[in-house]
Amino acid sequence: MDNMAVTLDAICLASKIILESGGETYRAEETVERMCAGLHISRVDVLALPTGLMLTLDTEDHKSITRIVRVHNRATNLARIDLCNGISREVAEGKLSAEEALRRLEEIRKPRKNNPWFLIGASALSAGSFTIMLGGFWVDFIVSFFCGAAVQMALPLLEKRHVPGLLSSMIAGSLTTLLALIGASLLSGVQVEPIISGAIMPLLPGLATTNAIRDTIRGDLVSGGARFIEAILCAVMLAVGIGLMLSMWGGIPS
Amino acid sequence: MSWWVQLIACFVAALAFSALVHLPKKAYPITGLIATAGYGVFLLLNQSTMGYFFATLLIGISCEICARLLKHTATMFITSAIIPLVPGVGLYRTMRYLVEGDASMAVSTGTETVLGICGIALALTVSTVIFANLRSRKKKEMT
Repeated sequence: MDNMAVTLDAICLASKIILESGGETYRAEETVERMCAGLHISRVDVLALPTGLMLTLDTEDHKSITRIVRVHNRATNLARIDLCNGISREVAEGKLSAEEALRRLEEIRKPRKNNPWFLIGASALSAGSFTIMLGGFWVDFIVSFFCGAAVQMALPLLEKRHVPGLLSSMIAGSLTTLLALIGASLLSGVQVEPIISGAIMPLLPGLATTNAIRDTIRGDLVSGGARFIEAILCAVMLAVGIGLMLSMWGGIPS
Repeated sequence: MSWWVQLIACFVAALAFSALVHLPKKAYPITGLIATAGYGVFLLLNQSTMGYFFATLLIGISCEICARLLKHTATMFITSAIIPLVPGVGLYRTMRYLVEGDASMAVSTGTETVLGICGIALALTVSTVIFANLRSRKKKEMT
């Protein structure tokens, strides 16, 4: 029975990590089924949603065990999904025991001390490059670079204060617009359009949209619909943030 | 800016975005190249709605192939390769016309943006369905 508890923990943790990192729900379900097959559990039923996961499995002495895993916080982390996928495949092939899998999964889930400056740099560089890509010039690159950096500095602070994700995307939109407008009034020859459109590109819900489509195609209508709503709301809130700041600023320098 | 500067910027942007969403490091150059190729197709087709469709189709199919060759998840590649195509300009312009009170321009730009997103969604659907069918056929053969 003790062994069973470890097995359950490992299975639940693997699917939880996938859902928390923004993976598709069918991937979480497949992971559970795959791991169960590798750990000699004959029967399992699992239902995953973007916000939680339910599973029931039958033990050898014909008892059912049910667990519900609730997923509260979701953030995009594709490397984690990939690592989990690898571990579940190894379990399925019988190369990894439940204890070992649990240990490695806990290792993955540990909040790694990501260098914040690395993320700020990445955000700034991608915002700036998108601005050039959308027809901006080098002056615009510099302004957009600072917009991207400021947004990436602000987002972790908002997360720490438990500001809801949708509200923080509105704030991010406003912040970008404000900085772009300030830049345009200080420096001559700055175009606002490529700066704002470039700087909001990394904030748009790319992963949610992709997953919404993939979930819907596989027939997971509840998760697909939920993700569509998430993606649409995120984009709308971003647009509202931009519009709010534009109208508060008054005239838009073209 | 000339087209090649835009393509280089697209490559750099895709690399930086890959870092932002914590992609495994060895996947950076692949997604960068796929993103650049997709954006190139989009520019060739004059940034039209059809451009969104065919560019995304190229991205979707090459990502699925890469995922199978390198044994990684397809979503991982698609998420950062698709980002340059997302119509950020349309979103901004729609908002700007709304703020300026130009309702007819806001509606027409908004419609264009939504059509672009539909093009992307349709192409992603097509590429996913093709590869999902391939996989299920393989499974049937095995059993």
